[in-house]
Amino acid sequence: MSKITQKDVERIAGLARIRFGDKEKEKMAAEIGAILGYIDKLKEVDTDGVEPISNITGMENVMRKDEPTKNQLAEQAAEAAKLIEMAPDNKDNFVKVKAVFGE
Amino acid sequence: MVNNSVNTIKSVNEGLKKGEFSVEEIVADYQARIKKENPKLNAYLSIFDSPKLETRNYKLETSLLAGVPCAVKDNILISDEKCTAASKILEKYVAPYDATAIARLKQAGAPFLGKTNLDEFAMGATGEHSAFGPTLNPHDTSRVSGGSSAGSGAAVAADLAVYALGSDTGGSIREPASFCGVVGLKPTHGLVSRHGLIAMASSLDQIGPITKTVEDAAIVLNNIAGHDPMDSTSVPVSRELPDYTANLNKSIAGLKVAVPKEFFSEGLDNQVNNLAQAAIAKLESLGAHIDQVSLPMIEYAVAVYYIIVPSEVSANLARYDGIKYGLSSNKKSSSLLDVYLDSRAEGLGPEVKRRIMLGTYALSAGYYDAYYLKAQKVRVLIKNDFDKIFAKYDVVVGPTVPYPAPKLGELDDPLAAYLADVYTCPINLAGLPAISIPCGFADVEDKKLPVGFQIIAKHFDEAKLLQVAYNLEQALK
Repeated sequence: MSKITQKDVERIAGLARIRFGDKEKEKMAAEIGAILGYIDKLKEVDTDGVEPISNITGMENVMRKDEPTKNQLAEQAAEAAKLIEMAPDNKDNFVKVKAVFGE
Repeated sequence: MVNNSVNTIKSVNEGLKKGEFSVEEIVADYQARIKKENPKLNAYLSIFDSPKLETRNYKLETSLLAGVPCAVKDNILISDEKCTAASKILEKYVAPYDATAIARLKQAGAPFLGKTNLDEFAMGATGEHSAFGPTLNPHDTSRVSGGSSAGSGAAVAADLAVYALGSDTGGSIREPASFCGVVGLKPTHGLVSRHGLIAMASSLDQIGPITKTVEDAAIVLNNIAGHDPMDSTSVPVSRELPDYTANLNKSIAGLKVAVPKEFFSEGLDNQVNNLAQAAIAKLESLGAHIDQVSLPMIEYAVAVYYIIVPSEVSANLARYDGIKYGLSSNKKSSSLLDVYLDSRAEGLGPEVKRRIMLGTYALSAGYYDAYYLKAQKVRVLIKNDFDKIFAKYDVVVGPTVPYPAPKLGELDDPLAAYLADVYTCPINLAGLPAISIPCGFADVEDKKLPVGFQIIAKHFDEAKLLQVAYNLEQALK
């Protein structure tokens, strides 16, 4: 299970949206393979009947009403401007991206 | 480079109250020290020219932090200041708001000196994974200062700040505290708001103080702890939080201390072992009751950690796409997909990429059950191990890291570096609070290298944790 091929690396890199050179791919395959080899020791542990939890203090689905407070409205408008300013490319108060559909 | 004439929060507050110096003077004093010493250590990534003293009406009588110069790890947002997470992808990012912990420190009148170095996005045990060069250990500059809160640990040890904030996901506050000979506290997950902390692994990340004394750690915790609706994992506390300084002095006679044999297994440095044993003997001489116990599932903690962390990392770092903020590789000919692929290739460092790749693999179709789900289940078993011990004992103790600070480059192998977290990451997996305090020095190549001792308590029992730490700290003096 822990043998990682260059092909695996290419598949994962595609999912993770990272471009790698050939040398990097080779290195990544070896390193990930070694780490997963170590992680394989988890197979020794009997986890039958164990319910996985995702929050360690036992909280679940913390919700709030989808209503901004007055304070938030003013703050959010100011913050929104800052956030758009932060984008590498913006136009007319919008974040600008490359064309999503082909021509 | 270690400054032994220690300026603590307590002593600076006293000095300010007595009028021995003004806030402006003590801040200027630290700025001059940083200017002189930082080039040797690389503890700070940015140094603020004129720390804004937000609250001119600070009250020295009611706020111990008022006017006391503080350093902040560069993954915690301070409004209108750069926040890089020591990554090229955020090199020019300016924080649009304050982290909750920062807002609370500002309210207390804390002046900020600057932002400290870290492993990129807090991923690392040595501080060497910073895109802006490693932080060097003030006790021996050929050695690392420990990660990932590398700059915060070094800055406090070298007295380039009275105290600092760090963050701890698998040991990132306690490891630098251990290697630099200072105090590092990781609170219970959910006690301190993560709002405004750049997310690494959200189920484990926690902000905490790095200080020179246990009392100072309690003072900082008093100021930053508490529920925050902006962090959904922040635990609502029905009753008022305790004053964490109140019981420090109280005797620990009769307290029950558990020593897990797994914290003293192979790989533990001999001198670290001796110093930890001496600290345990000290606890016994203070009247604590010591028992050896076993936490059998601890053996699997590093394996669990390096599935859960990369999995959460792969999701949390998906936002660095070259579109919303930060570095963007935007060639004329490139498509939207190219922008993603190239921005992430150029902007993220090797350890960050490694973890994103590992996590993406662990969460991908066909592997989720074998890796992520399995790890989540073993995580429960690790927590159960601790629950069993804490049903009978007040605290669990042992060494913080198996060895003193390694040389730069010594932990180059990724897996070897991951194993540095062997005693610290189980605590994050179980969500527990833990503190590392100095317990002496190891003699290595004519240098005296600090060694840390770790104390762990049950969820939200920081008061007892700090009480034991304070008693031991005083006894070891």
